[in-house]
Amino acid sequence: MIKLLQIIIDGSLVGLVYGLVAISFVVIYRASKIVNLAQGEVLVIGALLLWTFTLGATKFGVHIPFPAGIVLTLLGCVAFGLILERLVFRPLIGQPPFAIFMASIALLVLLRGLAQLIWTAETRPFPQLLPSGAFDIGPFLVSTRLLIGGVFTLVLATALHFFFTRSRHGLRLAAVAEDHNTALSLGVSVRSAIAVAWILGTIVATCGAVVLLSGRVVSLDVAGIGFKALPVALLGGLESVRGAPLAGALIGIGEALAMAYLDPFTNGVASNVLPFVVMIGVLLIRPQGLFGWRRIERL
Amino acid sequence: MLPTGIYFETYAAEARVLKTVRSRVLLAVLVVGLLTVPLVSGAYVLGVAAQGFIALIAVLGLHVTVGMAGQINIAQSAFVGVGAFVTAKLSGYGLPFFLVIPLAALMTGLVSVLFALPAARVKGFYLALTTLAAQVLFPIVILGLPTEWLGGIVGMPVEPLVVGGVVISSPRAFYYFTLAFVLIATCAAFNLHRSGFGRALKAVRDNDVAAQVMGIDVLRIKISAFFVGSLFAGVAGACTAWFLQFVTIESFTLFASVWYLGMLIVGGAQSPIGAILGVLFITVFQEGLHEIGTEIMRSNAHEAGGAIFGATNVALGASILLVLIFEPRGLAHRWSVLATTFRLWPFPHR
Repeated sequence: MIKLLQIIIDGSLVGLVYGLVAISFVVIYRASKIVNLAQGEVLVIGALLLWTFTLGATKFGVHIPFPAGIVLTLLGCVAFGLILERLVFRPLIGQPPFAIFMASIALLVLLRGLAQLIWTAETRPFPQLLPSGAFDIGPFLVSTRLLIGGVFTLVLATALHFFFTRSRHGLRLAAVAEDHNTALSLGVSVRSAIAVAWILGTIVATCGAVVLLSGRVVSLDVAGIGFKALPVALLGGLESVRGAPLAGALIGIGEALAMAYLDPFTNGVASNVLPFVVMIGVLLIRPQGLFGWRRIERL
Repeated sequence: MLPTGIYFETYAAEARVLKTVRSRVLLAVLVVGLLTVPLVSGAYVLGVAAQGFIALIAVLGLHVTVGMAGQINIAQSAFVGVGAFVTAKLSGYGLPFFLVIPLAALMTGLVSVLFALPAARVKGFYLALTTLAAQVLFPIVILGLPTEWLGGIVGMPVEPLVVGGVVISSPRAFYYFTLAFVLIATCAAFNLHRSGFGRALKAVRDNDVAAQVMGIDVLRIKISAFFVGSLFAGVAGACTAWFLQFVTIESFTLFASVWYLGMLIVGGAQSPIGAILGVLFITVFQEGLHEIGTEIMRSNAHEAGGAIFGATNVALGASILLVLIFEPRGLAHRWSVLATTFRLWPFPHR
């Protein structure tokens, strides 16, 4: 029983990290109607920016104080979002959804190649931003890093939810997610919405990288988390910021249970397959996810 | 666009792929040219050409699914992989190639139907996600199956290809073998456009509600679009298996799928000419970058390997984006503009 509860606690905390990355999908979709398959690559770029302004700068003999490094990373994320909006997505406004989807696939290889050209494929240590180790609650062991990350995910999801549903600016973004042309005809700037979407998406993805990687190592392969978070975003509903943490916890628990009880019999397949089986199941049974807008046709 | 003075007296003549004598002569010249290439070029060029041919078969399949039916497929490389593993397994049992290739194509088609079934409930981007699931699940499943079945992480050796008692192993023989299949696949793709099935695919792409109103079974057409596209992938997979003589999951990644899609988009998704131009352009481009890369590697061996991989990815991503933004109809449209200008010369206006 204690083992089962421990598995559920671990699974839900890991799942909240997936949820955090899923929020970065949702934020971009919710503000610009773009599903960005390259979100894993965006996360890696964010992580490498943070490395550059902290450990990387120290390595090259430039000492940047830690808070300044964080500020520089945030500025880097803003610049990244603005560049993508200006160069890639602004010319594609009004193009069919097929073209925008293909653009995100093109970004997948482009960003991967760019990261490799600029930072090379070597594995580097990631700065320790969150405390490591674990502490006991009764008979259970809880990782401090994941717990802080989980609480952060919940707070962020609530804050973003109020931003999107209560603030004037957030409601404008919702109009863009509904339909580009309608939004344009109502005087909502799709350009600025897309810019905001990508800036927010990059910053949230970088936060995800911090929770995921703090005190560990960063390499280009970390991008795989993007494909773990995609089923989570879909289960929660692509328009629902608050659905993402819940869906993340569900998938995290399912994965942990499968890892503990099914993997020994299936050669380690069950836990890896589970998120995608859930994804196909969601598509078949409830395409809008748990809390998404009820609209089946999106392309 | 044909110049004034060329007209047709029967529908059959109008519907031909090669309408004029000149186009037939040009095609004959092209085929003879392709047949004589091995007489003058070295093994390296033939190897690159064979790889290009295999990619072309896969991209022609993608052209059916993505270009004609409008269903995004990000798992073409996984489907090629299914064909390759089936080929490795079946040729291990000693089956002859003329049985192995149809069986590999059929198996690949059936696997793709499995992932096209959600078309009953969702469409567009959501359907694309199920193909993404297929691509991600492919290596996991191969790794999870017992090693004796499909080789697991190590991979599987492939029995050499024997055609009519002759072992096909030299680059030249393999060039001719793949060329034969490229010609068949190209012929099939061009003819698909003027068949009832091809028109149904295009009707579904342009407006699936209207297609349904006209009496087209949209679900069946969508699923068969995946099936037919994957038949091509299965043949490409069989050729890949014999070409590499060893199959591992490393050869069939998501990135390979993106490369296939990139070739199709750069060339122009709507016509087989686009697939051909796209494969040609990307292959030549990639080989050029490799040449430059090896030059750099000679002088500065240390970091060049990763840089080449990075540079080719950046170049591919950038060319897809440039085409999407500036010429959504791809190189095929540029090609047809060029061909029309040439035909109408010296009169600049139609």
